[in-house]
This record gives sequence, C-alpha cells and structure tokens, in this order.
Amino acid sequence: MKAIWKREMQGYFFTPVGYVFPGVFLTVASVLFYMEILSQRSGDLPSFVSEMSYLWMLLSPVLTMRLLAEERQKKTDQLLLTSPVSLPGIVIGKYLAAVTMLLIVSALTLLYVLIVAIYGTVYPGELAVNYLGFILQGCAFVALDLFLSSCAATPVTAAVLAFGANFLLWILDLLETAVRAEWISAALKFMSLYSRNEPFMMGQLSFAGIFFDLSFIVIFLALAVFRMDRRRVGR
Amino acid sequence: MIELDHVTKRYGAVQALRDVSFRIEKGETVGLLGRNGAGKTTALNLITGYFPPTEGTVTIGDRSILADPRHCRRMIGYLPERPPLYDEMTVESYLRFVCELREVEKKEIPAHISEIISLCGLEEVRRRVLGHLSKGFRQRAGIAQALCGSTEILILDEPTVGLDPRQTVEIRDLIRALSADRTVIFSSHILSEVQQLCSRVIILDEGRMVRDFDRNEPESAEIRFRLKIAGDGESVMKRLQHLDPEIHAEKLPAEEDGVTEARVVLPRGGDGGAAADRLFRTLAAAGLAVRGMREEKETLEEIFISSVRK
Repeated sequence: MKAIWKREMQGYFFTPVGYVFPGVFLTVASVLFYMEILSQRSGDLPSFVSEMSYLWMLLSPVLTMRLLAEERQKKTDQLLLTSPVSLPGIVIGKYLAAVTMLLIVSALTLLYVLIVAIYGTVYPGELAVNYLGFILQGCAFVALDLFLSSCAATPVTAAVLAFGANFLLWILDLLETAVRAEWISAALKFMSLYSRNEPFMMGQLSFAGIFFDLSFIVIFLALAVFRMDRRRVGR
Repeated sequence: MIELDHVTKRYGAVQALRDVSFRIEKGETVGLLGRNGAGKTTALNLITGYFPPTEGTVTIGDRSILADPRHCRRMIGYLPERPPLYDEMTVESYLRFVCELREVEKKEIPAHISEIISLCGLEEVRRRVLGHLSKGFRQRAGIAQALCGSTEILILDEPTVGLDPRQTVEIRDLIRALSADRTVIFSSHILSEVQQLCSRVIILDEGRMVRDFDRNEPESAEIRFRLKIAGDGESVMKRLQHLDPEIHAEKLPAEEDGVTEARVVLPRGGDGGAAADRLFRTLAAAGLAVRGMREEKETLEEIFISSVRK
C-alpha cells in the first residue's frame, strides 16, 4: 500500500499535474479571497473555506481521473494485480495519494489565514472546524471520484463521470428546495454532502457529519474494490 | 511447481481455455505455442493470478493461487505482452517501485536493483525516463521488473514481439541466461524461438491443449532414416523391403542418376545411434552400397502443423 501511495505521489510530481493542480486551485482561491475578504475588508474565513469546497468539487476529478482508469488503459494494472498487494491495498494506496494532495493544497491555503491574522482576528477553534469540514468533504469527493475512475475505461471518461457526479451532488441541494414531496426532500437532504457540511462551516463540530463523511468514503472505496474485483473475475 | 488441473476459462459466451491440465516442474523452460487466440495469454494470466479460472484449479508451489494469492504471486515474475511501464518514471525508480511492491527488504533494494540492471543490460539507461526508451530497452525494463523480488518463476508473454532482429536475438540470449536458475514459461507463435529456448513445448489450439512434449525425449518408438543407395530404384527397393520384417521402406524421388533415395522406418530400440548402427550393418550385410544416410527428425513446425486444426 505504501509503495502504491509513493508511486502515485511520484506520478503527480513527475508530471505537471502535481504543480498545475495546486497552482490552479490557489489562483482561483486567491481571486475568491480577494473578492470575499480583501475587497470587502472582511475577516469571514468560514465563508471563504466554504467556497473552497466548491472549488475542490470542480477540480477533484483532475486528481482522480487517472488513478485507476489510466492503469487499465495502459495495462499497467497487470503489474499491480499480479503483485502480492491486495486489491484494497491498491485502492487505499491510490486514495491516500489523492488525499495527500488535498492536504497539501489545504496547507497552502493557510497563507490566506495568515494574511487575515495579520490584519484582523482569527478564531482558531472555529477555523479548525471549518477546515475539518473542508477536508472531510474533499475526502468524500475523492472517494466518489476514485470509484468512478475504477468504472471508466479512460481517464477522460473518468473525469467527465466524476465532474457529473460531483455536480449532481451539488444540485441535490437545489432539488431539495424545489421538490414538494417532503420525504423526497428529506432523502435528498440526507444524501447532500453540502448540507452535511453546513455545521462545520458555522464552526459546529458535527459528529453526525463526520460519521456521514466517513461512511461515504468507506462505501465508495469498497465499491471501487468490488468494481475492480468484478472486472477481474469477469475478464 | 506449477499445476493447472482441468482449467476452463470463459469470457461470457467465449470459451478461451477448455479443460486444460498440465504440470511444470522446477527448472523447466516451457514454450506455449499456438495461433493467435489459441488461449496462450489466458493460460499465462491464470498462472499469474491476474484473473481466476472459471473452473479447475491453479497451483503454484504447493498452494492454490486463489487460496493464497500473496504467497504465489511473490514467486512469480510476469512480463505481459505489453510491458507494464510507467512512462514518467526512470528505469531505476520504476524498479525500486516494483521491488517495494514485491516486498523486497528496504536495505536490500539498491543491491538487488543494481544486480537486475546489470543482468538485463540496462546500465546505460538506468537514469533515463522509461517513456524515452527504445522498444528493445523497454522490453528489457519489462523483463527486469519481472525479476524483482524472489521470483522463482518467470512468465513471459510474447517477449520478442515487435522487436527488430538484433533486439530479438538480445532478448533471447537474456531469456536463455535467466532460464539457468529459474522456471520459465513463455508464449510465442515463433517456432524457431521456441525451438531454441525450450526444453518442453505445450501446444494450444482453440483453447484446448493438443500437444505436450519434451523436446529432449524421443517422441515415438520408431526412428526414420533417409537413405541414398547406389543402384536401380526398383531392385534396391525390392531388397530394402525384404531386409528385415521390422524395417519398412518407401521410395522417395531421387535427386541423382543411378542413386535410389528411400525412407526407412525401424524400431528405435535404445538411442538413435544404436538404431543407425543396426541399420547400417543390415544394409552392408545385404550388399547394398550406401551413399548417404541421415536421421529424419520431425521438426517443431511439422509437429505444430499436425497438431493444430486446419
């Protein structure tokens, strides 16, 4: 598993992805920071962190698209699937690599926090909960997108599927308010990653939210393992 | 060491392998021969545990690959038809990754990699990116990854396909060197390659195993000689046919005037040399003037053609 993680990290940093991805994320985040914080002379970091989670939703497919789909396309999966590493080991190794990128990007965004801290007041407890929500939600998107990468034949297809799925999760919130049937609305609210993330953005540590995100991650990683196993058996 | 017991593999409605059974002992070099789509790659993929059989069992060492995949896979190095290379990695970092994947002790990795690099002739490209290598070097890197770890079994799927003649010879030499202390199984449809490298040949056709023979052992109890005997065809053949009830002769088209050419078949009765001595003495005793005599062996090509369906 560690070998897989290490290779994926090399894969990111031996190619432009490892540099372009954080670069693009930080560029867009800087624009948002300017609009939300600097131009408004505001210290509302929770809103900014909340907006970063939408940004992650848009960019996460770029990180995950090649994780399993490219292995299949280039037939390098033959090396992994004939090695002593188990299928869960392969999936978790790849997942942790993408999560590491999420943590790197999160760490880089602390620069914005530093700027606010210089000119205003930062509430560390609240900010920690904001970031916990952002990271948990990011991890959930990575798990979903990794599963979709295991379903796709090419990285491009994986990216399109992942972007579509992330977008669908986003519009569940809009659907929830548009649907009249109460039980459907409740079900949509239950499934929405964004609704689950709201308490974190308000600085409230939500154990239900943590449990939901962790369950979401475990389910989609298990589905990715199951998908790879089915493909292998059914070859 | 490797045993396939009544193995069948189906891909949906397509039956890629049908009730195949064979056993390969430690140290053997076995060639899997067959036309395209005969089931060679499927057989290799089943041995490596890349996918499971639909029916039957695959045993590596003394363990089933399904029951103990980790143990079995540690013993096997596999070069698929397309080498599984990550183009952005250097040769050295790639081999390091494969060593880690195959659970080689961390402190042993540098020495192990150096040994493999030297064995596979990759010294000059060890720091080069895989994506920039020639096809020959890529194939070598593919073989090198199959050697990482304590692999006792080397499985190579069409290892020389797409290489130029010089690269083909180099890869063959490398396989020959590696087979000295490993069990090697490789698939090919190049008969000369199998002839040069393998001690044993398994021929697959339409998913069935149609032939399994050791190239060092005599295939049949009979031995064939091609003879050139001075004299008129009819009288020579008459005398040949009455030499011995165990010797059967048939006339062949003659290439020279005054010389009769014939094929004689007799019981092997020991090694080929003993049969040749016996035949020569019999011919001499009968007063036939032998101008030439050579053993006719069934070539791999003849065996292959006679084994596969038209």
